[in-house]
Amino acid sequence: MTTRVKEDKSILERSFIIGIYAFVALFALLCIVPFWLVVINSFAAESAIKIHGMQLFPKEFSLYAYEYTMAGKQIMSSYMVTITVTVAGTCLALLITSMYAYVLAHPKVKYRRILSFMTYFTMVFGAGLVGFYILIASTLGLKDTIWALILPYLLNPFFAFIMVSFFRTLPYEINEAATIDGANDLSIFFRIILPISKPVIATVGLFYALQYWNDYFLALLFIDNHNLHPLQIMIRQIISNVNISSYVGGSTNYAQAVPTYGVQLATVCLTIGPIIFLYPFIQKFFVKGITIGALKG
Amino acid sequence: MSFLQEIRKNKYLYLLALPGFAFLIVFAYVPLSGHLIAFKKYRLADGLWGSKFVGFDNFKFFFMSADWYKVTFNTAFINGLFLVFGLGIALLLALFLNEIRHALFKRLAQSFIFMPYFISWLVVSMMAFAFLNTTDGIVNRTLEAYGMEKINWYLKADVWPAILTVIYVWKFAGYYSIIFLAAITGISGEYYESARIDGATRFQQIVHITLPLIRSVAIVLGLLGVGRIFYGDFGMIYGIIGDNSALYPTTDVIDTYTYRALRVLSDFSKSSAVILYQSIMGLITIVVFNQIAKKIDKDSGLF
Repeated sequence: MTTRVKEDKSILERSFIIGIYAFVALFALLCIVPFWLVVINSFAAESAIKIHGMQLFPKEFSLYAYEYTMAGKQIMSSYMVTITVTVAGTCLALLITSMYAYVLAHPKVKYRRILSFMTYFTMVFGAGLVGFYILIASTLGLKDTIWALILPYLLNPFFAFIMVSFFRTLPYEINEAATIDGANDLSIFFRIILPISKPVIATVGLFYALQYWNDYFLALLFIDNHNLHPLQIMIRQIISNVNISSYVGGSTNYAQAVPTYGVQLATVCLTIGPIIFLYPFIQKFFVKGITIGALKG
Repeated sequence: MSFLQEIRKNKYLYLLALPGFAFLIVFAYVPLSGHLIAFKKYRLADGLWGSKFVGFDNFKFFFMSADWYKVTFNTAFINGLFLVFGLGIALLLALFLNEIRHALFKRLAQSFIFMPYFISWLVVSMMAFAFLNTTDGIVNRTLEAYGMEKINWYLKADVWPAILTVIYVWKFAGYYSIIFLAAITGISGEYYESARIDGATRFQQIVHITLPLIRSVAIVLGLLGVGRIFYGDFGMIYGIIGDNSALYPTTDVIDTYTYRALRVLSDFSKSSAVILYQSIMGLITIVVFNQIAKKIDKDSGLF
């Protein structure tokens, strides 16, 4: 049966399939060309970029942009800020979100619907920039502190609901059995529920980590001190033509021209480097998270 | 059971929820009071409660100016473009990816298409700059090589809605195609089996089986997008356009406008009034379109 159907394939059918492959291949290629462009040109000689412009296949290579960028203090301090914020933020956010989501999903909790609604409401009617700015900058006085980069993202309602939908799938018998054995809700959560929730914790944790790593909004609003500039703000500073030699603080050899493009591209590559390296391993968690999130609306 | 009894009975559970609950109160509910500033002449020294009450003056200024129409139009127009092209191309990609039988090709293509989702808007901005920058960008150098005039992209406001749409599709096509693909994979193989036996071509299978069966997912995603039509993507627009005022006529959205009012002009009251206007428009559209979404598909409503 199947062989007969295969033989029936007309020329039209064949060209349709070839067209599909061509379209997908072209689109996939267009998706990575910009990555290729910044990575390969970060290794191009500055003089070559000045003469030939950005090229897909530069001919002269140089590591000077990286040497210049790495020699400065700013890249290390920005890396430290971004890593600290990402690690501390993700851990704290996971702890708070999972505890909160567990309660929202717990059938014993009488007020879980009210809590769910209160959480959902923040997604449809937010405080807006002014209220938020006044809270962080004056009420809490967190300007130019690392907390301004961590605290505001500790509980994302959307991620919380992804966790809620996971906790709901756990059989309630686990809970009953543990209660009979004399465990209280705290130890049930930390000793039993968390260990069996690793998949959803990994997924949500990666979403949080990506958000912290890529965010520049909080630093844009609240951080003026360049010692607390995360990597994203460092990119912004370099793009908006600040005095690169004093900001990046690289070479003290003033006779040497600053490789402007080189520093910009090298900083971008150093920023996306960890993501690109981890990408093959983390991709499937994101696919899963998006699928769960979409199914829940 | 009274409130206190309930709390006492499940004290450990409420203890677990406490940090999250406290977070919501402090970071989501307390700042709601900022909306009051829309009705006041806010001065830092007087604070929120001490500033003078001025009624609807801040709104009057905003609605009397040309800005009102401009930023509202830009926000809805740009979001509309994102929605149509973003979802349209993602749907096309998902349909096509689903037809691909070569496993390695499919996996690689999907990985590439999903990759732009993972990088920040400032990195995207740098990439856009590598293409569009006037003197050394790859686009202008190519134009030049073919004997054409260089174009100063960063001064040409009218092309930016299109450029932003291309960037949006580039960044999110992978994301939305994952959602569509999940819906397509959920379709029972029996439909396709019997269609093949009846001699349906792949194209006919897509049109008569796949599309009708994922219609509701597409509509719900569309309605969710429409529900957020008055919220500009600040991270994207400000990351790419920044403080380039030459591009404001077509790219200044409500969110970048309120940001500037706050941070550049330090006009808290004006910023707050525009934000309240946006929040109310947003709330109305979300409630309306959520109802519509529920009508189309019972399970898709959010509340």
